[in-house]
Amino acid sequence: MIRIAFDIGGTFTDFVLHDAASDVTSTLKIPSTPDDPGRAVISGFAELLELAGTKAEALGSVLHATTIATNAILERKGASTGLITTEGFRDVLIIGRQKRYETYDLYIDKPEPLIPRQHILEVSERLDQSGDVINELDMASVDHAIDTLLSTERETVAVSLLHAYANPVHERAIRDRIKARAPKISVSLSSDVSPKFREYERTNTTVANAYITPTVERYISRLQSALGQQGYQQELFIMQSSGGLVTPAMAKNYPIRIIESGPAAGVLMAGQVGCDEGFDHVITFDMGGTTAKLGAVDDGSPAVASTFEVGHVRYKKGSGLPINIPAVELLEIGAGGGSIARNEQGIISVGPDSAGADPGPVCYGQGGTEPTITDANLVLGYIDPDWFNGGTIHLDKDAAANAILTQIGKPLDLSLGEAAWGIHLIATMNMENALRVVSVERGRDPRTHAMVAFGGAGPLHAARLARAVGIPTVIVPRGAGVGSAVGLLQAAPRIDVSTTKVMDLHDETGEQIAEIFSGLEERAQNDLASLGDVFSVRWSRQGYMRYVGQGFEVQVDLPSGPIDETYATRTIEAFDTAYLKAHKFLDREARIEAVDWNLAATLPQYQQTIKISPMKDDKRPPRKRQAWFPEADGFTETTVMDRAILIPEDIVAGPAIVEDVDCTTIILPGDQAQLSQDGHLIIAINQETTS
Amino acid sequence: MKEKPIDPITLTVIWNTLLSIAEELGTTLRNTAFSEGVREGDDFSTALFDRNGRMIAQGNFSPGHLGSMPACTKHAIDYFPGETLSPGDSILLNDSFMCSGHFPDCFQVMPIFFESELVGFVACSAHQVDMGGAAPGSQKVHGVTESFQEGLRILPVKFVRGGQIDEDILRLVLGNVRMPEKVRGDLLAQHTANLSAASRMHQLFQDHGIATIENAFELILHRSERTMREALAAVPAGTYSFEDYLDDYGPGTEPIKMAVDITFDGEGSVELDFSRSSDTVPAAINSYINYTRAYALFAIKVFCDELQPQTEGAMRPIKITAREGSFFNPSFPTPSGGRAILQVRIFDAINGAIAKALPHRAMGAFSHWSNPNFGGLHDETGLPFVMYDLSLAGYGGRQGKDGVEALSPVMNCSNIPVEVHETHNPIRVRRLEFIQDSGGPGKWRGGCGLRKDIEMLNSTAVLSHLGDRHRFPSYGLFGGEPGILAETFLNPDGNAEPLHSKGMYDLKKGDVVSFRLSGAGGYGPVAERDPNAIAQDLAEGYISEEGAHRDYGWQGSSD
Repeated sequence: MIRIAFDIGGTFTDFVLHDAASDVTSTLKIPSTPDDPGRAVISGFAELLELAGTKAEALGSVLHATTIATNAILERKGASTGLITTEGFRDVLIIGRQKRYETYDLYIDKPEPLIPRQHILEVSERLDQSGDVINELDMASVDHAIDTLLSTERETVAVSLLHAYANPVHERAIRDRIKARAPKISVSLSSDVSPKFREYERTNTTVANAYITPTVERYISRLQSALGQQGYQQELFIMQSSGGLVTPAMAKNYPIRIIESGPAAGVLMAGQVGCDEGFDHVITFDMGGTTAKLGAVDDGSPAVASTFEVGHVRYKKGSGLPINIPAVELLEIGAGGGSIARNEQGIISVGPDSAGADPGPVCYGQGGTEPTITDANLVLGYIDPDWFNGGTIHLDKDAAANAILTQIGKPLDLSLGEAAWGIHLIATMNMENALRVVSVERGRDPRTHAMVAFGGAGPLHAARLARAVGIPTVIVPRGAGVGSAVGLLQAAPRIDVSTTKVMDLHDETGEQIAEIFSGLEERAQNDLASLGDVFSVRWSRQGYMRYVGQGFEVQVDLPSGPIDETYATRTIEAFDTAYLKAHKFLDREARIEAVDWNLAATLPQYQQTIKISPMKDDKRPPRKRQAWFPEADGFTETTVMDRAILIPEDIVAGPAIVEDVDCTTIILPGDQAQLSQDGHLIIAINQETTS
Repeated sequence: MKEKPIDPITLTVIWNTLLSIAEELGTTLRNTAFSEGVREGDDFSTALFDRNGRMIAQGNFSPGHLGSMPACTKHAIDYFPGETLSPGDSILLNDSFMCSGHFPDCFQVMPIFFESELVGFVACSAHQVDMGGAAPGSQKVHGVTESFQEGLRILPVKFVRGGQIDEDILRLVLGNVRMPEKVRGDLLAQHTANLSAASRMHQLFQDHGIATIENAFELILHRSERTMREALAAVPAGTYSFEDYLDDYGPGTEPIKMAVDITFDGEGSVELDFSRSSDTVPAAINSYINYTRAYALFAIKVFCDELQPQTEGAMRPIKITAREGSFFNPSFPTPSGGRAILQVRIFDAINGAIAKALPHRAMGAFSHWSNPNFGGLHDETGLPFVMYDLSLAGYGGRQGKDGVEALSPVMNCSNIPVEVHETHNPIRVRRLEFIQDSGGPGKWRGGCGLRKDIEMLNSTAVLSHLGDRHRFPSYGLFGGEPGILAETFLNPDGNAEPLHSKGMYDLKKGDVVSFRLSGAGGYGPVAERDPNAIAQDLAEGYISEEGAHRDYGWQGSSD
């Protein structure tokens, strides 16, 4: 079977074609067409099929990751949306959780809600925490709300009532009434989208879903028809934030699930590469032009968190809109090639301000004046000015040097090399602090992990970063530049369903848990029907649990198999394991309660190892250039070679530089790199140098 | 001081590492804590010290411990000088005067040794759920007249010796508190968090050596002092004064005067003097000097230097004084458990004074928050319950912008979701919404007050109310008007009975208490408000047509 995966980014659209029969892979990167993303897709498909010598009819399936949903929220360009909520609670969405993301800055603003207050409507009804009806739903108030939605021309509406996670009855009655009276208005129910307690987070998630529904619907329909017109009749799959695939129909119903689509695919790729090379525990490190993203793979599966935020300010936790949807765990910080370095009171600061792609770093020669990480890497000799992006962009090294010397070097009394090194080191250190959060703070021991580094700038910093936290192995995968598209090929269809039921586990006989999971399974089965072969479903269960009285839950992987009278005890044991890992201690006297429950269904038959053949084999002879290594007290003659000429028997001893079309890898003095049989570059970090 | 040579790259690396250690310590503590104050309110703090107890770095957590951390660590060292400390020791204390002004805040100070030499300290504080005394939570205000009624007072003790927790001390503490299992969990969490920070500090010394690290410490203190002095020198010299009043300290009591005189010398120093304020009051609401200092430092930092890392150096140019025996500088055993209610008001007083020096930085007064507790014996379980609530509303108008709606003022708290409260307590929230026409009118409008109605579902319960601004409204600035007064009612839909902002009331099943927070103050002349902003407020329902007409002279109609 032949499959094509494509990831539409802001600048480039990446493609990967994989032919399972011959195990041949072709990749392609072409400029995106933001006004009509389908155009780039169609021309890319044609080019790729020709490259692979095959035809549209031979295509098995098409896989896609997109930022369309995220952008609609970030740019506040979604639908005109209304919200219906319980009488007396109109302001839940605007009040939010009220905490400042900066303690000492009282001049900050809250994120702009997706719905202005006048479009938030109330209906008379009330449930309690068990889902029991306290006040019946007053249909006259519903009709009144619908009149307002119609007169204010709302395209979509979110319905989020108090305690609706425990009983959807009133939300469904409202939906049915809207469908009868105003069939054009698209409805999102909180009991469908995010049936978990904590009203603000649930409401915001539901509102976001409603807000992006028309945008995502139009986008997918256009894509489907563009593909159809070209003769591509195959099933299209779309990546979710959780790292699983869904059908277009489900993506249109629950567009909120495809928000972190592209980055999730990158983590999947990293996880697969780790598995290929024999590492079950992986830290993923993706560094591009604006940000660095850190994620993790535990026991071979990407770590998935139950919530995330969209639209961070200053990369601060709590500054964005919370979304209650399972998402691949990613910590994003403002450290990318374009991050700006400044002298602040005799201290070098790097990022989060970024020169972005326009004007970009000083060395791009497009008007950038402040030195960036890329400028520093150029001055340090890490990047070849004539081989950036495979030689397609020439970099102005003198301009970069001048900016670094005048803005950082002279004021701080540092040489050019020292100043550039300072920028590189401080950038690496900022990422190190983030990496500590992902590893040590979340119970992952760096010494037992491998790092998979990708993105244009990742492999430049990876070895230094690994050293700083004690990670012994760095893997720079083949095809790092199209990592997300590769990840799509490795994804499996996946459905997540979850609910809230607060339960003291010491009193539990197993009956309540069995009931929860049979309810979740029923919901999942409805969705699975659209995904194909339901007989090969792999189920996994997660609980979100804590000591009674705590306010934060830990995610616990629950035992599989039958839920009997021993299940609660086994659940407690699973909690102990997870809690100990996260917090290094257990309280044997405290009681344990579960709060949220999740059931994940995956269809693993699509998963397979993908071997990426090189994009373009430019083989140049090994050469030398001056590059800065503090271990060698500054600039030193350094071997530079193309990855394309390496064979698995070669051992590259640092200091050395390995160049690929889409990224450059730095090997530090004392470290050794070797190509694996699958073509990934494996760097062994010298253990005596790590701290 | 002449700076010793140390390259800027190494200095940056060391400083960043110190900040990262202080943050990591706090994250660990927050995620494992039982106390609602810690996990929802960030009511804890973390800091790193050199061998002399000078604070080198602080985690970005509760401002309430900003000024108390250095003082508390110095008191701990006074009791246990370096030569009496060994690796694996840790000191515990909670005294109101030495620490942060009330007993629930427990501090743990741990020495760090490197190659058998004492090289520094790590410390953290956490607001414990209870320290014993007259009422659950150890923060009862009315009727508490001396500290001995507020629970267990811990002068510095060696809580951990050579890595072993002193079980005798632990038993002594736990025998005196309500919910001992939670207090135990939090004390252990504090210790564990300190251990992880101490181990990273040890690594830092390992990487760079004692001489380089201590050199960096000096530079960090010096640089942060210099940065603060530069910021203070930019404020026009002069003395700026302001007075405001707290409603009272219980039913039938007098208002408390809160006065501050702030003198900027124009050369980089500032003195804040609270001496003209009232005397201490016979209720647990007085502000020990460390607490006064904490929020005064917070305010200066907000106005002058908000994003710089916090060190003892940055505090040096700021002098905080208050007459002994005054409301802001009591001595033991003056009661103080409920002093948290003051934090917004210390800031408001300083803000009012600084408005004269820095009009573009000041803002209208905050909506005053409320912090009621409902407690009783649960009908179904027979066990005690305490529903701790936080209601937070708007900011005052600012130059160029309306006040933010519903954001935590001064202290940085999350609210507690309605669905969480209803799941854990026998109550039902009936209403949670902005109060129309409550924000102080002005060119830039103050944020709205918030109404929260809570119905009691238990057969009986006791409400301990803790609010303010029922008598003195949140002031406006530069022609902006005050917001509306706060009010509290029992059974608002029937024979509404007004409740006192600091009273205790017996409730029965079906009673509804309606908390209505004050509106925040406006900024700038009302007449200068942009008509489009008035129209926008009308459309969004923050003001009514009647209110627009009354407050802004609006002539339009909605037709």
